[in-house]
Amino acid sequence: MDKQEKYDEDLLKTFLNPDRIEKAPEGFTSKTLARIQIEKQSAGLTRSFRGKYLVPLVSLAVCAALIIVSVVLPVNDPGPADSVIWRYLQNPGISLPALNNDFLQNLKVPGWIPYSFIGFFLLMFFDRILFGIFNKQGK
Amino acid sequence: MDFRSDIFYIRQVQEGKINAFSHLVDRHKDKAYNLAFRICANREEAEEIAQDAFIKAYRSLNNFRMKSSFATWLYRIVYNTAISLVRSRKNKILALEEFPADAVDFLSSCTSQDEAVEEYRSSLVNFAMQKISEDDRGLITLYYYNDLDMEEISKITGISRSNIKVKLYRARRKMAEIIEKNENKIVSYHG
Repeated sequence: MDKQEKYDEDLLKTFLNPDRIEKAPEGFTSKTLARIQIEKQSAGLTRSFRGKYLVPLVSLAVCAALIIVSVVLPVNDPGPADSVIWRYLQNPGISLPALNNDFLQNLKVPGWIPYSFIGFFLLMFFDRILFGIFNKQGK
Repeated sequence: MDFRSDIFYIRQVQEGKINAFSHLVDRHKDKAYNLAFRICANREEAEEIAQDAFIKAYRSLNNFRMKSSFATWLYRIVYNTAISLVRSRKNKILALEEFPADAVDFLSSCTSQDEAVEEYRSSLVNFAMQKISEDDRGLITLYYYNDLDMEEISKITGISRSNIKVKLYRARRKMAEIIEKNENKIVSYHG
């Protein structure tokens, strides 16, 4: 370090002293923590929305797309949809053992079974709603 | 006085104790704020930058591998955010050509000579800082105010050590010239 550099260094050390830094304004810590809390809560909400609704929404979209395709595409005359993909779907060229569903056709289901299924789904539906309500109140 | 290390509080935050983060904020807020303020020269923006830096640090704390100190990591966020902000400004803050000749006038309101000298020096430093580039302001702040060595400054800024030396030398020379030129005014005022 030459003489000039040493002089500059000493001069700046006098003026730019660590004890003379600009201090953070009053309430800086509490404001920062408040922002973190807000962000944490909103991130939690986004996560819970994703967790609760993403799967049903995607399923709904896929189902809707399949229904539209089945309605729009004619069975015998594919027309403009006679694409490579369509032709492939008609005959995918995959060899699988034929599924024997005779037992399903011969199955004799008691009359109360469909009602029990409807009851089961209704109970599940109400359980979900009540859980949502009470869980929210608990928080 | 809190003698616990940053690592102690980082581990607590990683375990889900959010309030432990307040100790880290308290410990580093002044130097983080000062770094932001020296680079952007605006108190409101500096507060915003420093707060944003702490929030970014909090978000990424689970990924913090403790390879560098928490301070180094935090200052890197502050430095990059402040530099980006200054560079993206549409309206640049115009620095005065010369240090105002009447800068000593307001010193009459100071209660003591020491206070007056401090006030004058602070204004002079702010003026000299505006005469160097934003990244030089960052380097000067990290070196003098934050008292960091070249290795740490290099980690924070991403500038090589040799380049930091050159940049510091030039910035120091320029600031020293401005300070030399104006510091005698306070002496003659009180003389």
